[in-house]
Amino acid sequence: MRNSVVLIGRGPLFWEVKDFLTDYHFRVVTPDELSSEIRAVIDVETGVDEVKKHTLVQVESRIPSGVPVFTSALHRTATEIASWLKHPERVAGFSPLLLSEMTTVEISRPFQADDENVWNQCLLFWKELGKQVEVVGDEPGLVFPRILSLLVNEAAFALSEGIASAEDIDLAMKLGTNFPSGPLEWADEIGLDQIVAILSGLHREMGDDGYRPAPLLRKMVYAGYLGQASGRGFYRYDRK
Amino acid sequence: MGLGIAEVLAVAGYQVQVAELSPEIFERAVDGLRKRLVRQAEKGRFTLEFADTVISRIQPVYQLDELKTADVIIEAAVERLEIKKDIFAKLDAVTSPDAVLATNTSSLSVTSIAAATKHPRRVLGLHFFNPAPRMPLVEVVLGAETDSELAEAVFGWMKQLGKKPVKVADSPGFLVNRVARPFHLEAYRIIGEGLASKEQTDRILRAAGFKMGPFELQDLIGIDINFAASVSVYEGFFQDPRFRPHRLQQAMVERGALGRKTGKGHYNYEK
Repeated sequence: MRNSVVLIGRGPLFWEVKDFLTDYHFRVVTPDELSSEIRAVIDVETGVDEVKKHTLVQVESRIPSGVPVFTSALHRTATEIASWLKHPERVAGFSPLLLSEMTTVEISRPFQADDENVWNQCLLFWKELGKQVEVVGDEPGLVFPRILSLLVNEAAFALSEGIASAEDIDLAMKLGTNFPSGPLEWADEIGLDQIVAILSGLHREMGDDGYRPAPLLRKMVYAGYLGQASGRGFYRYDRK
Repeated sequence: MGLGIAEVLAVAGYQVQVAELSPEIFERAVDGLRKRLVRQAEKGRFTLEFADTVISRIQPVYQLDELKTADVIIEAAVERLEIKKDIFAKLDAVTSPDAVLATNTSSLSVTSIAAATKHPRRVLGLHFFNPAPRMPLVEVVLGAETDSELAEAVFGWMKQLGKKPVKVADSPGFLVNRVARPFHLEAYRIIGEGLASKEQTDRILRAAGFKMGPFELQDLIGIDINFAASVSVYEGFFQDPRFRPHRLQQAMVERGALGRKTGKGHYNYEK
């Protein structure tokens, strides 16, 4: 039984996905610990394209051509990421957000994944983990991350325009529209770097200024105010 | 909506005058309220006597100048700027300049309504959410001229009434209607680009923790209402592309598929 998974990435998403896979008895290895018995490659790297590309190319050179590669498609299309690899037909985009909480996983299919058998083998990986697989179109941010990042963006614009305080924005969205979480506290949980990566990916691919990230969000990322993981985002958190 | 707000105040112990156009309209609204209160009394939330007391605290008036002794006036007329401006000009003339004048608008400019009065400092928005007796949120909207101490006092009063008020600067869509726009508009773009179906989009968002997906929610709200809100915020921001409404949204309205109320919307409700 090939039960090792190569996990690529950093930050809170890396640890969340690692815990999730470990709970399902996978041996999670980093690219440096790569062995020959690999079930899949999971790449949760979102923002830093050079690192993402370099690591994927390196890992691919050391694994068999049939091993599925799941890559975070929050910032780039799966089609573009697949184009970096020698065997693009085994690449699938996915959303790593809320992976352990959600019963569903969103998967996007690159143009190059044109072999039905290879593709169905890819999807099998998630089905075996008990996930409901939703195959959606290949654009940055898929469905949930795209909608969430735009809600956060609008809340950030409203905050920077002085329309209301962060606390009131979150409270109002929970009480007024029954959102499970306020957009700003949700951004702190997921990471502002992820949100800005999704927005700038959409902005680049669509060429539509409706996706322009709020200047406040950009500056918070520059300053390292990424949310819970860095101790400060829209709110402050005690770091242990 | 107006009587829902009157209910909130009467339950809290206030004497409420309700300005209506005719006795027929008032009686019909109060009959509805009486039935709701009796049903709640039967469920044991309070006594039937209390229900009667609440009803007795609500009295009709049919001329605006009968409101001249009121301390607070909350306007909940139809959402048309000219009508609201006309009402506020009249209220400004008949009330004491110390009285608070609030508009329960969900989309019109509070600043513009206030400008119809000679005392715009005492004008503010009180955006209750429907149904007012059950929804705790109230947006306390400060127009460009609104006195901040007065807004603070009204904010505190809303808390005393058991509401959860938030302070919002006057701007298109205020807070909730604006920040919720992408939930609906981006969902239309996703289906419009053929990236996912309506059912899939709703399923994915429910899996992420939302009580309802955008399409089933629009069927509940009314697709026409949601489209009108989209257009109003879009125009309010001088056509900023973030708020651009979607042609599929308009097509639903043109077809008369408005959601549950017409038996047909994004989903079919016909039996």
